[in-house]
Amino acid sequence: MKVRFKITADLLESIRADLIRPYAFAHERVGFISTGIAAIGNDVVALARAYRPVPDEDYLNDHSVGAMMGREAIRKALEWSMQAAHASFHVHTHGGWGIPGFSSVDLRENRKFVPDFFKVSARFPHGAIVLSDTAATGQVWLGRSKEPVPIDSFMVVGPGLKTWGRK
Amino acid sequence: MKRLDRQSFLGPHSEKALQELTIGLVGIGGGGSHSAQQTAHIGIGGYVLVDPDRIDLTNTNRLVGGTLLDVLCRRFKTAIAARAIRSLNPSARVIEVRKSWHDAADALKRCDVILGAVDSFKEREQLERFARRHLIPYIDVGMDVHETKAGYLVSGQVILSTPGHPCLRCCGLITDERLTEEARRYGAAGGRPQVVWPNAVLASTAVGLLMQMATPWHNKPTAFAYLVYDGNKGTVTPSPRAAVLAGKPCPHHPADETGDPLFDIRSHLAAPHRPARRRPQWLNWIAMLFGR
Repeated sequence: MKVRFKITADLLESIRADLIRPYAFAHERVGFISTGIAAIGNDVVALARAYRPVPDEDYLNDHSVGAMMGREAIRKALEWSMQAAHASFHVHTHGGWGIPGFSSVDLRENRKFVPDFFKVSARFPHGAIVLSDTAATGQVWLGRSKEPVPIDSFMVVGPGLKTWGRK
Repeated sequence: MKRLDRQSFLGPHSEKALQELTIGLVGIGGGGSHSAQQTAHIGIGGYVLVDPDRIDLTNTNRLVGGTLLDVLCRRFKTAIAARAIRSLNPSARVIEVRKSWHDAADALKRCDVILGAVDSFKEREQLERFARRHLIPYIDVGMDVHETKAGYLVSGQVILSTPGHPCLRCCGLITDERLTEEARRYGAAGGRPQVVWPNAVLASTAVGLLMQMATPWHNKPTAFAYLVYDGNKGTVTPSPRAAVLAGKPCPHHPADETGDPLFDIRSHLAAPHRPARRRPQWLNWIAMLFGR
């Protein structure tokens, strides 16, 4: 089974623009992307709908990491996923060019909170994405107690079609 | 020399990008047959060909690639298009669906772009909605011949509908009045007038829009286009409505409609799935020889 992620160019551009806004003490910004999910045979495709940044007041002042969300940030994201019935993908950016990679801190923190989305929205896979200025990479949980799997391919839908990863 | 050397201006990696691209062609009659032929010449590698009909004698005035022998053999329109594609690109990935496009949903979801050349407004609206739900750009082609007191008017339009941008309803092509009128006339006998050259102009225009999305040759690719064909003047021009709509969001297809509303990962993982099997190449050669 392969997992694909599709997003419009406009939405991706607005996310990138938001994530690079400066912040008082955090080194980076984070947010959540809501997605609809469709099956394509055995495969699954996540279809991005909207983006919500984590509000300024919901960051913790933790200088050991780029940005640390407080419990309220995660509660709001859980509530959004439950009420709107969507799959949720945490997102942040590392900037730069080419396909980015999660840091060990990213992987550790994703593992802490992403499975919690199955408590409120068990019908959907949930995950996390890290962007660069030109590409993205991601991981997705297909069940609360399952190990995450990588997102196989990304497609940006807009004036020019952009894809990367294994189709 | 390679087959696609003369189109290298499309971009340094365009040959690979086009080979990896998969397009859906819904309606392989007058318009769709041109699109199939042109995209095969360009080097697109993946096709989902959807049309439930077999060729008949009245199609041969415009269905390019179709022959009188095809009429005698009652070949499916998809088979004629597949033959044209494989005669240029024997390794093309071709899926034929000889049914309504509603029965081709899984195959169409895999497409990077869908080109629709369907007859009814209802089909157009449903196909566009399907494409939007799966974040697939949709290019709609339509032509008409109207009889007036002043003579015949040959017209048509090509609309590029990308998720988030103006849609067929925004353009005024789909209206409740048209859908109601079409439903009222449902089953009325007689085919609408169709001729080959407007189909060719419109399909070429659609393929041009596809190419500015799929390859980097164009310095200002667009996510939305509404081009109007005037067959009496021989012109293709942007609709005046396009300038008004450009840059405006579409109110008819909200972003939160993406995905399958009934999707459940638990039942998806529990369902038995058969691995996709690729048709052997020798079968493609036989299909190309016999057009079946």
